[in-house]
Amino acid sequence: MAANDMVNILMVDDQPAKLLSYEVILKELGENLIKVTSGREALEQLLKNDVAVVLMDVSMPEIDGFELADMIRQHPRFQKTAIIFISAVHLTDVDRIKGYQRGAVDYISVPVVPELLRAKVTVFAELHRKTRQLENLNRELEQRVAERTEELRERADLLELATEAIMVSNTEGILEFWNSGAEALYGWKREEVLGKNAHQILQTRLPVSAAEIQSSLAVEGRWEGNLVQQTRDGRELTVASRQGLKSNATRDVILEINRDITSQLQAEDALRKTERLAAMGRVAGIIAHEINNPLEAITNAFYLLSSHPSLDEEAQHYARMGEQELLRVSHITRQTLSFYRESQKPVAVAVSDLVDDVLELQSRSIQMSGITLRKKYHSRGEIEGFPVELKQVFLNLIGNAVQATPKGGMLQVHVFESQEWRKKRRGVYLSVCDNGSGIKSDDARRLFEPFFSTKSTKGTGLGLWISKGIVQKYDGSICFRSMHFSTGNATCFRVFFPTPLPGDKIQEPAAFSTATK
Amino acid sequence: MEQAKPVILCVDDEENSLFLRKLVLQKSGYEVIVANSGQKALELLETHKIDLLLSDLLMPEMSGAELIKQVKERGHKLPIILVSGVNEFPPEAQAADLLMNKVEGPAKLVENIATVLQRFKGNQEIR
Repeated sequence: MAANDMVNILMVDDQPAKLLSYEVILKELGENLIKVTSGREALEQLLKNDVAVVLMDVSMPEIDGFELADMIRQHPRFQKTAIIFISAVHLTDVDRIKGYQRGAVDYISVPVVPELLRAKVTVFAELHRKTRQLENLNRELEQRVAERTEELRERADLLELATEAIMVSNTEGILEFWNSGAEALYGWKREEVLGKNAHQILQTRLPVSAAEIQSSLAVEGRWEGNLVQQTRDGRELTVASRQGLKSNATRDVILEINRDITSQLQAEDALRKTERLAAMGRVAGIIAHEINNPLEAITNAFYLLSSHPSLDEEAQHYARMGEQELLRVSHITRQTLSFYRESQKPVAVAVSDLVDDVLELQSRSIQMSGITLRKKYHSRGEIEGFPVELKQVFLNLIGNAVQATPKGGMLQVHVFESQEWRKKRRGVYLSVCDNGSGIKSDDARRLFEPFFSTKSTKGTGLGLWISKGIVQKYDGSICFRSMHFSTGNATCFRVFFPTPLPGDKIQEPAAFSTATK
Repeated sequence: MEQAKPVILCVDDEENSLFLRKLVLQKSGYEVIVANSGQKALELLETHKIDLLLSDLLMPEMSGAELIKQVKERGHKLPIILVSGVNEFPPEAQAADLLMNKVEGPAKLVENIATVLQRFKGNQEIR
């Protein structure tokens, strides 16, 4: 309501002539004048309009002024409505008027002095106008506060939505805010950390001195860098941290947003290692060529010497020894310098042959640890595939088992053909069992996750993950069981490769492919 | 098995390797003709009756894979084995009946030759 808006003035008198005279007197105030001749009409108007002041004659038939005033006051909306009584000055009237404790009440005695009436009405009209304005302002303010609150709530929701850890602490490092992202990342609940020092709880290791960070915050208002921190369950994380100093009117706070980059760094590291391996592979390829060519010639030479008629028994024996040793060298160069580029087509391979190759590579470790090897091949286990990646799977399983087996332990390797019960397919099974340290049930869930390793720094944590990927490529399966007995543990890994049925060959094998044409 | 010894055409650019491989094969009862290049091998195929072609993969001028291609283009029907010092065979090499690493040893080489010959003979008889 604007300041010059008209307000309603309700005039109640049973005599129209008097109403007319009030109207004449009040006209120049420029307000809206409503005339009624009875208390009933007055109540109706009050309910319909927002009335600033009621001007009423005390003496009216039916309902007199006091009765009307009582009725008006009973209604909660009108308890503060201003009322001006017009009455002859009887002492009793004045007393009664004074009896109205609440609300704005005034009186004017007859004969009515126009200036006085105008002045009194004006006071109440202005009062009403100001009150309405205030109320409007208040309403507006409340709405703005509500809008702002909603906005803030949205911002807060946003903070909770972030997967980054977002925290606010005072300049002493004491935490004042900790979002859901921080709870999820570090495993600490809000109520556990608020009021405590964040970096003590997280055992933060800084890349630079604390003083350097502080000066950066003080001078530039911000700092960025990688932190190494610990989660509640003791895992180590690397986070990219961004910190800002925010100066409020009364004090400074430090805002901090941390993003987990642990797996990103690990992936980058793995990539670097892979690149290094690829470079090694290229070098190995060159060396393989340069070594293997003469190696074949020498081997053949010794082979021929070992049965050459011009040599006596002893000389032939030496030649045989030389040949045997050369075959060992050949085997090693084939195993280690043979970084195959993936062959184009799968070939027919026997799982047992590949396992033998892998066992030979591991033979030194097996021997040194005094591990008893029990090998049972119920079948050669012929499948179609790529020997290199299959060997990688077997090397992972057997290598892990060898490392887990204690000195003098037992390693069992079985190859057999059977039907897989779940999908009713025939195929080849390889099972590798050891009586080593076993697998904790906590670790079991994460065993096939990338970068998960129980060998701390020695393992890449990629072995089983890669193996699983390879096995899945063959539409096979990989599973394990770890059993704990009072006498010790037993851990068995089992891989299954389906044998293709005649007719659903994936691709023609490379060898002998032209012979059938 | 016929009375006559199977004839193997042995191709390698390295003289010593070729010579020794020839002796190994002869010792195992094969008749061996040698060629020190792919071109030479193609010429010999025109003039001799050859039962099996045993070639090195990596050779200057004409590689073993290229040799196979030319042999097939000329309509020669005979089994082919490619050997290499590296374990990396290009896709074209897959046209060979068998790929093997040189260093697998003389025994394995002889075994592979026998297998491939037998298989080829079997296929011929079916036709």
